[in-house]
Order: sequence, then structure tokens, then C-alpha cells
Amino acid sequence: MSEQIAFWMLSAIAVLGALVAVRKRNLIHGVFALMIFFAALSGLFLLLLAEFIAAVQILVYIGAVGILLLFAIMLTERVTGDDGRRMTSRGWFWGLVVAAAVFVILLLPAIQELPPPEAAQAIDPSVKELGHKLMNPYVVTLEVLALLLTAALIGAVTAAQGVRIPKEEDSSE
Amino acid sequence: MTLHHYLILAAVLFCVGLMGAFTRRNAIVVLFSVEIMLNAANLNFIAFWRYSENPALLHGPLFTLFAIAVAAAEVAVGLALVIAVYRHFKTVDLESMDTLREE
Repeated sequence: MSEQIAFWMLSAIAVLGALVAVRKRNLIHGVFALMIFFAALSGLFLLLLAEFIAAVQILVYIGAVGILLLFAIMLTERVTGDDGRRMTSRGWFWGLVVAAAVFVILLLPAIQELPPPEAAQAIDPSVKELGHKLMNPYVVTLEVLALLLTAALIGAVTAAQGVRIPKEEDSSE
Repeated sequence: MTLHHYLILAAVLFCVGLMGAFTRRNAIVVLFSVEIMLNAANLNFIAFWRYSENPALLHGPLFTLFAIAVAAAEVAVGLALVIAVYRHFKTVDLESMDTLREE
């Protein structure tokens, strides 16, 4: 019973947070709504007995991604966005139609009323076991991921730095 | 709570993200929306793992962990690109970035 209450509350918070994040004109408010969405999703992970993923969700998404998004918003124009310009893109109607169509397609398996699989009663998803798995069968994936993160770091710094075009010396002639 | 509850919730969240990515003009909001979609997919991974026959294998959390790491890299590179584009065009409005469009 308490699991159901928690599920419905967390899903309501997640959906509302996502909607506000997507529709809010003020980008700073949007980022805070996005952080609430991330927190609600972390709660849902806890409900599904994935404690470590819940912790990682808070650390990575609220801690890192949210702050990064705030910085990016403050480094670019239009923080509040209330300058009367259009918020939605041209063809927004077709965007809505496609989103609704995808939603219906995603829901088709649920309408078919297959017998829902039973949840395992007790899971022992210990962080220790996760670490063993990462070190033994998935070590190559882990290393590739480390390489990817390093490459992304270098790439992000290079892209944000901008290309310095050397000044032509024509004017001095 | 059955698996279907989580799958429907993930579908709703995914489509909210899709709607945002399709209908907003601001590049940063489009990045938000992509993040929402990625998180909905992660919720699916974890829900399928929880209701799988052998959850002790930990496939769901491992895959989600890798997906979160890739998403973090994606956000970093994406925001760097947004800032680079802003420096060039002086705007993050996606509709004014039409240099490649045929006139």
C-alpha cells in the first residue's frame, strides 16, 4: 500500500517536473523543475530496489548536469526569456502530433494485456556485487567508458574554447 | 505495482521529452528534453531488471550505469557546442541557425 502511494506521488512529481521543464519560458525555473524531475526519478529507482543507481542519479544528474545546465544558461542570452519572442518553433503542431503518435505506439504493448511478470520478492543488489561485475566481466566496457569520458572532456573544452582564427596581417601593409 | 505501471510512466516521460525537443526553439531546452528522454529509458531498464527472471545478474543497473556515464559525456559536449554556436551566431535560437539551408 505504501509502495503504491509512493509510486503515484513520485510519478506525479516526475511528470509535472518534466512538463514544467519543457514548457517554462524562464530557463532557470526550467532547470530547477528538471532537478525536481531527476530527484523524483531517483526515488522511483529506490522503489525498484536499485539503491546505487538512485545515488548515482542524484550525484550525476542533480549535482553535475543541473549545475552545468545552469552555467550554460547564464553564459548565453535570454535567461528570463520574457522578451515577447515566440517560444515554440515553426511546425510545433506537427511536433505535438508526432509525440502523441509515438506515445500511442509505445503504449500498444500495454494495451495487449499480457500477463505481467512477477517481481522478484527479494533482490540483493549489493554495491559489492556491482563492483565485482564491473571488475570481472565488464572491465573492457569500463575502460572504454573511461576513454569516452576523457575524449568528451577534451572535446568539450576544445569546442567551448572556440577556434582562434589567426589575424591576417593584411591591414598592416 | 506491476511492470506495466513503470512502462507507461516511462512512455509518458519519454513523450514529454519528445514534445519538448520538437516544439521548443531554445537549444538548451532541447538538451533538457533529450535528458528527460534518456532518463525515461533508464527507468525502463531498471523496471525490466526488477521484473526479470534473474535479477541477481544485475544487467539492468550495469547498463543504466553505462547509459548515465554516456549521457553525462553527451551533456558536456552538447553544452560546449551550444556555447560555441552562441559565440558564433550570438543566439541559441535554433531557427536562426540556418546557414546550411538552401535559399
